[in-house]
Amino acid sequence: MADTINALSNETIPWWRNRRVIPLLVQAVVALVVLIMIAFLLGNLVRNLTAAGLLLSWRWLNQPAGFDISETVLPFNAGLPYWRALLAGLVNTIRAVLVGLVGATVLGTLAGMASFSRNGLLRGIARVYVELIRNIPLLLQLVFWYFVVFLSLPNGTAAIQLPGLVLAKSGLYLAGFADGLRWVGPQLVNDVWQAPLRLSVEFGALLTGLIVYSGAFIAEVVRGGVAAVPKGQWEAAASLGISWITTLRTIVLPQALRVIVPGLNTQYISLAKNSSLAVAVGYTDLYSVAETTLNQTGRAVEVYLLLLSAYLVLDLFISVLMNGVNHLVQIKER
Amino acid sequence: MANRPVLAPQLRRLRRELFSSPGDGVLSISLIVLIGLVAIGFLRWAFGQASWAVIQVNSTLFAVGRYPIEQQWRLWLLTALLAAATGLSWGLLRASPRPDRTGTLWPRHDRLAVVILVLGALWLPWALRLAALIQLRWWLVVALLVGCRWAAGRFAAVLPSALRRLVPLLWPALYLLGMVLISGGLGLVTVPPSEWGGLLLTLLAASFAILLCFPIGVMLALGRRSDLPLLRWGSVLYIEFIRGAPLITLLFLGQNILGFLLPGGLAPERIWRAAWVLTFFAAAYLAESVRSGLSAVPPGQFEAARSLGLSYGQTLQQVVLPQALRVALPAMVGQFISLLQDTTLLSLIGLLDLLGTARTVMANPAFLGKSAEVYLTLAVLFWCCCAALGLGSRALERRLDPHTIPSAT
Amino acid sequence: MSESTSETMIEAKEVQKWYPNGFHALRGASLQVNRGEVVVIMGPSGSGKSTFIRTFNALEDFQQGSITVDGIALSNDLRHIDAIRREVGMVFQQFNLFPHLTVLENLTLAPVLVRKRPRAEVERQARALLERVGIAEQAAKYPGQLSGGQQQRVAIARALCMEPRILLFDEPTSSLDPEMVREVLEVMQDLAADDITMVVVTHEVRFARQVAHRVVLMADGEVVETADPETFFTAPSHERTRRFLEQIL
Repeated sequence: MADTINALSNETIPWWRNRRVIPLLVQAVVALVVLIMIAFLLGNLVRNLTAAGLLLSWRWLNQPAGFDISETVLPFNAGLPYWRALLAGLVNTIRAVLVGLVGATVLGTLAGMASFSRNGLLRGIARVYVELIRNIPLLLQLVFWYFVVFLSLPNGTAAIQLPGLVLAKSGLYLAGFADGLRWVGPQLVNDVWQAPLRLSVEFGALLTGLIVYSGAFIAEVVRGGVAAVPKGQWEAAASLGISWITTLRTIVLPQALRVIVPGLNTQYISLAKNSSLAVAVGYTDLYSVAETTLNQTGRAVEVYLLLLSAYLVLDLFISVLMNGVNHLVQIKER
Repeated sequence: MANRPVLAPQLRRLRRELFSSPGDGVLSISLIVLIGLVAIGFLRWAFGQASWAVIQVNSTLFAVGRYPIEQQWRLWLLTALLAAATGLSWGLLRASPRPDRTGTLWPRHDRLAVVILVLGALWLPWALRLAALIQLRWWLVVALLVGCRWAAGRFAAVLPSALRRLVPLLWPALYLLGMVLISGGLGLVTVPPSEWGGLLLTLLAASFAILLCFPIGVMLALGRRSDLPLLRWGSVLYIEFIRGAPLITLLFLGQNILGFLLPGGLAPERIWRAAWVLTFFAAAYLAESVRSGLSAVPPGQFEAARSLGLSYGQTLQQVVLPQALRVALPAMVGQFISLLQDTTLLSLIGLLDLLGTARTVMANPAFLGKSAEVYLTLAVLFWCCCAALGLGSRALERRLDPHTIPSAT
Repeated sequence: MSESTSETMIEAKEVQKWYPNGFHALRGASLQVNRGEVVVIMGPSGSGKSTFIRTFNALEDFQQGSITVDGIALSNDLRHIDAIRREVGMVFQQFNLFPHLTVLENLTLAPVLVRKRPRAEVERQARALLERVGIAEQAAKYPGQLSGGQQQRVAIARALCMEPRILLFDEPTSSLDPEMVREVLEVMQDLAADDITMVVVTHEVRFARQVAHRVVLMADGEVVETADPETFFTAPSHERTRRFLEQIL
């Protein structure tokens, strides 16, 4: 052995005192323990599943689902197979995550910038927003938005009417293009609101909850990123007579992005995972479809594997995207 | 200029903060109007339309769930012990001097905290329309807390340091005692987990997971930074797997699949299954906090300890971990706070934690449409618990901070 | 190489070391240090000086050659490594004091844990050592509250508290402000008068001239020249040494 300290004395060292042997031994023991545990669990799994007649199989995916999904992007009805139901759920999850990401980023950036405002009141409000939201469980906030706010919206003519947007208990109605290129706003037809774009209150509650919650965390990320930019940059800009908002926009933020983007990645992934709480407000996302599927088929292991891999892929997708953005930001720095 | 009135410093500050330019002034005034409108609206709702009977009638349910009434003295005893331990720790953290600096008995924020506590203790039991005897108990609990705080601050200096070092050990001891008091055994009547609920279950699940995820998280962090490839990759795999999955899918795993993974009948009670899932979930996140703490300890510390002859274990225990954990403390407490919040997910798998209890209460036709009152109360409760954890962590951080970072160069 | 007149404390023979990245740091370095001797190692940066003395207490491993410290062969045997580390104290360029412990606790930690000595006795000794390095009044402070020179003196006292037979100094004054270098060198000079064996990696020529028994030049992972200070600085026998001296003097 050429790579030992002292080849001669190496042979006489007892193994329990040998610096080269112990690490190998530790790893071997850990690996053995883990393998035994896995073997034990898998053995039980196979035995128990066999006993229940539920041994791993994917054929049930092609059977008709038999339940309906109230709100889908992909067309779906009860006659379509389970895999279509799960796919519709996944698309619903992705829809919530995408809109949530955009909304939370906008809100978080605004709140984060407000915490650097010269106006003390604005700073205070940003602070209160962050401290309030971060110390209350998201699930509680979601059910609050749904049961307290959205379900108490009035219907018909009493609905809250804003330009291009109507908030009613029956849904959220947005203006948009219809019949080609005609801009159409929400209209009341026979006491029922109609608009080119209708969102359910469930989706509205989920989005509001996710955006307000993630926004607070993103505000902290933005604040931390801006705080990481040396004070001298602000002073240099002020001495050149550049206004506060221009300094922030053109000098500080580009530098802060280096710190902000990795933090955003974390927050985006947790937003994607948090979207699974949709089940609490009755929005049919992937998790909620999976739960129904499990209850009907009893296929716990298969459903679980599908569910988990879907979320892992979603996380991975966000990570890859954000790494790309990160790359862009870091290059700009030079 | 000479005639210009001299503004008081507070006024000057107000002017600088709110009215430094015309645009600023307009913004400030519109914000003040907005805040005023929201506040008036809220107060009118809270004291006019809202009916708080739903909280008053169900306060015991929210606190302990269906815990049998004749056994509730055990919980009172536990509350009193916890109050005493909190008071002692608080006093030692904030008022007792360190070798290198002196402390004051009542720093300003502590006086404020005591005032809030006492007012809360006087007002809350009254507002909840509790029986006079129970109100009295709450007063005694708070008196005990403040008394212990005072005593610890006043007499800590004359206590031998060996005795003071025992105080942190009070908490795990109290935890074990608390488990016995809550669940029974050792001569006490057994109260099955299915009868625990409300705040009791929430705090129990959270503290169980916090206590147990700590050693697991530290081991995972050490594993992830280990030189041994097998340990490193194993830890990475575990941490990334757990962090990639939403908590609810893991709870789902615990409820639906754990039964298949264990030999028949060996799977624990539903509440314990959920508590274990929370533990293993939190451990992965904690490991990442600890890892960042570990990487903040310069390698020279390790070398210095080894060159003094300390073993690997001693080096970790005496030199590396104390420093790493102090750095990781804010992040770890952040994890603990979100763990406390995550216990609300237990309601989604049908357990009667605080939120689960709230849902059953609102399902009662008598309290239909009272969700605003209930959810608001829960929000205040969670906010106070989380904010208290945050404050405690900051006090601990200051206490452990060795003033300045050693000048490395 | 000087003939051993007394007991040999360190004997390094033909030590070869490659870093994991393939860098060949030590290329057959050899050195013999006798009891009570003060050896100063000099050399350009990157010559392997620090790596070399760090192999003496197994902070760095090596691939070929042999090292014997105080009669114990350095091998993969953990018991030998522990024994050697107990006998060899080390003072680092960056002090490496434990920032979460007071000065006194920094000194007492290892004797109590490793040598299992009673705390009260160790504390007495630690206070005496702090007195000796001139900072007895700082015992209750934390390292971060001290100046660099004071920190390095604490680090020396910490190493001494283990009662080592050999002290290794790895550029002890290189990260100090100039006005603090002297106070540390004075402490080291004071130590050299005892019979403790010292190996010092440093650029301090004055210290080497006044205190060292022998001066060693290392270059490119090898020991190039070993001589008494007078010869080393005035009449070195190697061209490499002459070039080095031209650069630093």
